[in-house]
Amino acid sequence: MRAGHGWWLLAPALLLLLVAFVVPVGMMVPTSVRPYVPLVGITGGFTARHYVKLLTDSYYLEIIGRTLALGLTVTCSTLVVGYPLAFFLARTRSRWRNWLTILVVFPLMLNLVVRTFGWIALLAQNGLVNQALQALGMVDGPVKLLFNFAGLLIGLTHIFLPFMVLVLIGAIQNIPRDVEDAARVLGASWGSAFLRITLPLSAPGILSGSILVFVLTISALVTPRLLGGPTYQVMSTLIYDEFLQRLNWPAGSAQSLLLTGMVLALIYFSSRLARRTGARA
Amino acid sequence: MSAAASALTVRRLRKSFGTVVAVDEVSLDAAPGEFLSLLGPSGCGKSTLLRMIAGLVEPDAGQVVLAGEDITRLAVHRRNLGLVFQSYALFPHMTVFENVAFGLRRRSVPAAELGPRVERMLELVRLGPLGARHPRELSGGQQQRVALARALVTEPRVLLLDEPLSNLDALLRDEMRVELKRLQERLRTTMIFVTHDQAEALILSDRVVVMEAGRVEQVGTPEEVYRRPATAFVARFLGRANFLAGTVAESGASGTVVALDGGGLSVVAGPRPDLVLGQSVRVAIRQEAIRLEPAGSEPGRPNHFAATVVFHAFAGQAHHYVVQLADGRELEIAAPGAARPLARGAATRIAWSPDDVILLPAGGAGPGEPR
Repeated sequence: MRAGHGWWLLAPALLLLLVAFVVPVGMMVPTSVRPYVPLVGITGGFTARHYVKLLTDSYYLEIIGRTLALGLTVTCSTLVVGYPLAFFLARTRSRWRNWLTILVVFPLMLNLVVRTFGWIALLAQNGLVNQALQALGMVDGPVKLLFNFAGLLIGLTHIFLPFMVLVLIGAIQNIPRDVEDAARVLGASWGSAFLRITLPLSAPGILSGSILVFVLTISALVTPRLLGGPTYQVMSTLIYDEFLQRLNWPAGSAQSLLLTGMVLALIYFSSRLARRTGARA
Repeated sequence: MSAAASALTVRRLRKSFGTVVAVDEVSLDAAPGEFLSLLGPSGCGKSTLLRMIAGLVEPDAGQVVLAGEDITRLAVHRRNLGLVFQSYALFPHMTVFENVAFGLRRRSVPAAELGPRVERMLELVRLGPLGARHPRELSGGQQQRVALARALVTEPRVLLLDEPLSNLDALLRDEMRVELKRLQERLRTTMIFVTHDQAEALILSDRVVVMEAGRVEQVGTPEEVYRRPATAFVARFLGRANFLAGTVAESGASGTVVALDGGGLSVVAGPRPDLVLGQSVRVAIRQEAIRLEPAGSEPGRPNHFAATVVFHAFAGQAHHYVVQLADGRELEIAAPGAARPLARGAATRIAWSPDDVILLPAGGAGPGEPR
């Protein structure tokens, strides 16, 4: 087979990408520079004010900052919770291993809205978590866990943990046991072998898992809407409101394009980072 | 051999995985500077035994004693052993230099001493200029030499090798064998070498431990295990042999006569006072121990038989023959490749020396077996 022939295999995926991603995003570009007049709608002409407002107005900047901070913290918390779990699942020889892996994936089989309502029941003022904390005497009054950063962090971490764990299991399984054993025979304690060998060799998995969770988090809509309520906004809920509540399509388009740009930039820079670390590994 | 004089002693070591007994009460001794091979088919427990010595597998029972010190419960990283893997197991994210330096850094060797030691070891395995490369930029043979250097640079008390040559192609394997043997003679490091390749074990070893199903079948020099196998398994595993069933007809100081079953033929072997008259035995004769002689020469001598060639193939170093005796039984022969070949159907005579006849009590187990 000549090298060129293989490209045809990409055709269906490229077509889907074109129709479902490139065209809609491209159509938003002209919309995002149209003036919007309340009660009238989109008018003709050209304006950059949607972008200027987005990048200067402190209300929008706070939402952008919050979205990025949420992405970063959810990524870190899924990593911290997920790595030990993935390490165990990748290494155990237990016959329960497959069942445990299914248990990790199981939340994905439940409806997102149902899972999120579950968290509302748990995190509410008189919910299970607050009752438990007060019964244990750890807090005096109920702690606010809903409609704020903590609520979103808890809910999104839970929802995206399986993605992180699945990516990490694959990465850790790819590290040959012999390599770790070699380090230990050469005089490295278990901890030292982990830090110097296992962790660096699982870096590609950590990177791709982090990108996945970060991108999913900053573009998540249902969970932030339900756990954040109508007022605690992130970029995706802001875009949703702009399009469907305020009917300000030009502003919504500008916000959508900024979010898309952020995601693409992240993927670009992290793949460069991966290539750099990949060149060493 | 007393425990103090041996570099490594293994006492009644035992390990089972579930219901499978991988290593069953194995005891061994390796003298300082000795090259000891653990030879056996895959699944015979040789690798598990090696990993128990290294501390990577915890034994169910028994002891590992290193130069008089019981290390059975000592953590892996405190044992100061070297281990070379079949898969090389190099650290892919480190340069060759850092791979070799890894063990020295764990021992906090000062930088001024570390560099020269690593360089010297890389020279020794003929990788001097490649220190800055990454493992994936090296060939298989070079990678295995890095693994050797990495294991040897810390001056381990014993070097363990787990089928280190099995991933190399045949030519490179022969080259690495020689290199390994010369390295061992130069450094005088005690080496325990696991292999399933009998030729490799015979060429490299001072002594060979033949294992089967978690037990030691025989321990001896390459000559001993090859010429005087204690069991049918050892005879079969080390080189190819013809097996014939028979019973002891005469036994004396001058030799032993075995009457072969199902025919009037008998075979003369060396003296074997441990065998009694009428005992069932198996006679094993190595393919290359059988000589081909011109037809009609000196009839009637012991271990001389008339035969007809029924198969011939040339394999470079040897001619492979199958010959048929007067009673119809067939024997396989490997004759020197330089000799003139005999055609299929040719009448010939075959002969072998009584010293080359291996007698094994029927049922498999030899005398003095620890069963």
